[in-house]
Amino acid sequence: MADAELKIFDYDKAEIGEELGSYEYTLTQEMLDAFRSSVDDPEAQFPTLGVKHDATAFAMVYDDPIGTVNAGNEVEFFNPPIVGKKISVKGRIADKYLRRDKPYIVIEATAIDEDGRLLEKLSTYQLKKPDELGKKWHPEQK
Amino acid sequence: MASRAEIKPGETIPSVTKAITEKSILEFESTGILNRENIHNNPELAAKRLGTTYTLASGRMSITFASESLRRFFGAEVFNHTATVNLKFLRPVKAGDTITVTGAVSGSEQTDVGTKVSVDIFCDNQDGNRTAVGIGTAVIK
Repeated sequence: MADAELKIFDYDKAEIGEELGSYEYTLTQEMLDAFRSSVDDPEAQFPTLGVKHDATAFAMVYDDPIGTVNAGNEVEFFNPPIVGKKISVKGRIADKYLRRDKPYIVIEATAIDEDGRLLEKLSTYQLKKPDELGKKWHPEQK
Repeated sequence: MASRAEIKPGETIPSVTKAITEKSILEFESTGILNRENIHNNPELAAKRLGTTYTLASGRMSITFASESLRRFFGAEVFNHTATVNLKFLRPVKAGDTITVTGAVSGSEQTDVGTKVSVDIFCDNQDGNRTAVGIGTAVIK
C-alpha cells in the first residue's frame, strides 16, 4: 500500500474492532538469520516477532505523526513459521481506553501460513502519547 | 532440554542475559517488511517523539529474550506450540544496556489439553532496574 493512501490516525475516531491491514509475505532464510543474530539466539523460532505483525498492519492503514510507545505485548505461540512459506496476517484494533488520562489502543494480529497453520497471535498495548513517557523517563528534559 | 513432566511452584527458569547494541537494535528492525523509520532506528524521530537522546530497543526484543528463557525451561516442543508471553514494559532499553531475564513458576492449573504452568517473568538492566515484568505460560502433558 502506498503512503499516499494512508489515513492520518485520529485517536478519537479509532473504533474497537476496526480492521487494520491484511497482508502476505514470504519468510526468507535471511529474515530468520537476521532475527536470530539480533537476539543472539541461534534457536529462536519466531522471527515473526521482528516483523511486528500488528504494528505492520497498523502502519499499512495509518500514518501516525504523533507516534506511539509500546507499553506491553501479549503473544501466543502455536506453530513456528517455516522458511519459504507464505504468511498471511490480519490485524485489528482490539481495544481502546484511557488510563490515568493517557490514551491507549490495543492492536492485535493473527498469522497463518499458506498451509493454514496458525502461527502466532500478537497484541500490543500502544500509548498514543509518547512524549508523556519521555518526560517520565527523563524529567530533567522539558 | 526435554519437556517437563513435573514442574513445582517456585522452580526457577534459566536466566538469559543479553547485551543490547546499536547493531542488534537495527538488525532486529531490519527483519521487518516495511522498512519505515521509527523510534528504534531513527534517533531524530526518537528525540522528537520521546525527548530521548537515544533510540529504543523494541519491546519485542525483550519478548524474545523471555521466550528463550521459557523455551529452555519447557523445551522447544512445548514452548513452540503452547506458550504465551505477556510483558509490561516499565523502562526504556537502549544500546549499552544488558538485560537479564529471570523468573519462577508461580502456579499451575488443569485444562482440557494438559497442565497449564504459569511463570512470573522479570527483565532487569545492568543497574538492577526493572525494565519489564510479566507472565509466561505453557501447557505440559
